[in-house]
Amino acid sequence: MTDMLLEVKNLKKHFPIRKGLFSRIVGHVKAVDGLDLFIKRGETLGLVGESGCGKTTAGRLILRLLDVTEGSVTFDGRDVLAMGRKELRALRREMQIIFQDPYGSLNPRMTVGGMLSEAIRIHKLASGDAVKKRVAELLEIVGLSPHHSRRYPHEFSGGQRQRIGVARALAVNPKFIIADEPVSALDVSIQAQIINLLQDLQKQFQLTYLFIAHDLSVVKHISDRVAVMYLGRIVELAESSRLYESPKHPYTRALMSAVPIADPGAKGKRIILLGDVPSPANPPSGCPFHPRCRERLPRCDKVVPQLRDQGDGHYVSCLLYTPEFQSSSGRLGKSVIIDSDDQKKG
Amino acid sequence: MGKLLEVKDLKTYFFLDEGVAKAVDGVSFHVDKGETLGLVGESGCGKSVSALSIMRLIPDPPGKIVGGQIILGGKNVLELEDKQVRDIRGNEVSMIFQEPMTSLNPVFTCGSQIEEAVILHQKVSKKEARQKAIEMLGLVGIPAPEQRVREYPHQLSGGMRQRVMIAMALSCNPSLLLADEPTTALDVTIQAQILELLERLQRELHMAVIMITHDLGVIAEVASRVAVMYAGKIVEYAGVQEVFNTPRHPYTQGLLISIPKLTESKDRLAVIPGMVPNPLAFPQGCKFHPRCSRAIAECRKAEPDLRELVPDHWVRCFRA
Repeated sequence: MTDMLLEVKNLKKHFPIRKGLFSRIVGHVKAVDGLDLFIKRGETLGLVGESGCGKTTAGRLILRLLDVTEGSVTFDGRDVLAMGRKELRALRREMQIIFQDPYGSLNPRMTVGGMLSEAIRIHKLASGDAVKKRVAELLEIVGLSPHHSRRYPHEFSGGQRQRIGVARALAVNPKFIIADEPVSALDVSIQAQIINLLQDLQKQFQLTYLFIAHDLSVVKHISDRVAVMYLGRIVELAESSRLYESPKHPYTRALMSAVPIADPGAKGKRIILLGDVPSPANPPSGCPFHPRCRERLPRCDKVVPQLRDQGDGHYVSCLLYTPEFQSSSGRLGKSVIIDSDDQKKG
Repeated sequence: MGKLLEVKDLKTYFFLDEGVAKAVDGVSFHVDKGETLGLVGESGCGKSVSALSIMRLIPDPPGKIVGGQIILGGKNVLELEDKQVRDIRGNEVSMIFQEPMTSLNPVFTCGSQIEEAVILHQKVSKKEARQKAIEMLGLVGIPAPEQRVREYPHQLSGGMRQRVMIAMALSCNPSLLLADEPTTALDVTIQAQILELLERLQRELHMAVIMITHDLGVIAEVASRVAVMYAGKIVEYAGVQEVFNTPRHPYTQGLLISIPKLTESKDRLAVIPGMVPNPLAFPQGCKFHPRCSRAIAECRKAEPDLRELVPDHWVRCFRA
């Protein structure tokens, strides 16, 4: 058994754009466009990025809830993309997902007990009275009580519903859970409760998490390593504390500086990015971030940078951090700042 | 500095089949000219209803402002006729909302929606109104405003739509802007753009802002004074430095330590137990006592008053 649980290589998902009477394919939305990452057993990898960067699609591709256009996904030494239906069902016992919306992701016509026992029965994990016992146990694990099993989702608050979502994922004893924005729909005082619950469960059941979120503070808190996505690719990946102490990619730096800090004394310098995130249907040439980048080089619109290890597992995909650039400019940060008008035209 | 707005003992209730929801139950605060007051709290605490009451936009039925005064520029907004209220809305007080997607009309161009407000309030010709719309779009940093003025909301990104909303709200130079979660639906980098824009416009137009949000980070960056709301009431009311550096209400203290911060690492987050109370069934006594670690018998029986513990620092707690 290796300590590698999940390995994703060059993962791509292109959604076709159809138009006209015969639904001709006129282009593709490149939601995920060459994603590389690995997750070790027992760790939490955070995946952050702004809306439309492909983080949710990436999660669904790994679970095979969506068909992959290209690339490979290896889970526990097995090729996920080559699996047939039977194997896939067995795999889903090991990999589960928790969704963002605790309102929309629970069936309103099913009791909580019904939902949880369905998963247990489908995977033949228990039968008869043992199912009931297991449901009660699950509810207690997530901080609810066994009598809640007869209630319907609408009878619960947002935080409690998210606990039910967690219980449902745990019902099949998974090894790996993808948590897709699990706290962003919750109130501030409830968020901390769910984050602590997820961390406790990780210790108790040796879980591995892929934690997808847009809130950088939450991701930093819960993750061992963090990957930053922009337009379908990872632009930077490093150990959590290292990434937050010394972000390298210009996008990561701007993203961090944009987070409002709950301390009126600490008014840091905000880097304001110009323009919006470009459409993934028509991504910029070269580095996808170059039209908004304040430190871009003349060749950034031509060369696609590769994700490169800067030492100690700190990966960056930016021409500023290639050996060629560093030797030519002598030191880092001496980049040409281009303040061109086409940025403003957006 | 003079007081621009004074809200005194405002009570807005909703009369529902299930009972009476006391969404806002005796809220008092004021806003000085040109300043930013932060109104912070979780869902259902009454922060949006307070703002809608100032605009007299509470849907009636089921909602009703059952008590209090809202003094704006010497007049009590609650005693005005509907027509006089319409004159104030947009002209003196404007509001922007969380959802830039749903609060713009999809079948009209951005330009015509701004022009409508201008024509209504400033009695100008259509041509002048169009000029004003273009000027406003330029002011809020929309590139190529002559072109954008003819576009429909769906042709714009979320950040651009919020800019259009701001342009519309500011087109008649209001002295007070109510911003209800203006950046909650936006990404952080776009949020930074919008906050910067609001700050600049506030300086240039000498406008006061009430920033309503659940995000303590946003409050810390923009507000000069803060009112923390819980279950329809203000529980703490002070300058921004005092609220963040020396919070005195257990709820404010709990909120501040339960949020993860970029600048520090902790193994475990502190937690406020329990959940946000339902407005139909607020607890007796202090509304926060079921979740409070410092609650004593007195807290269960009586509701504490908002007291001025140190000058300009008001707290609603027996134990503070």
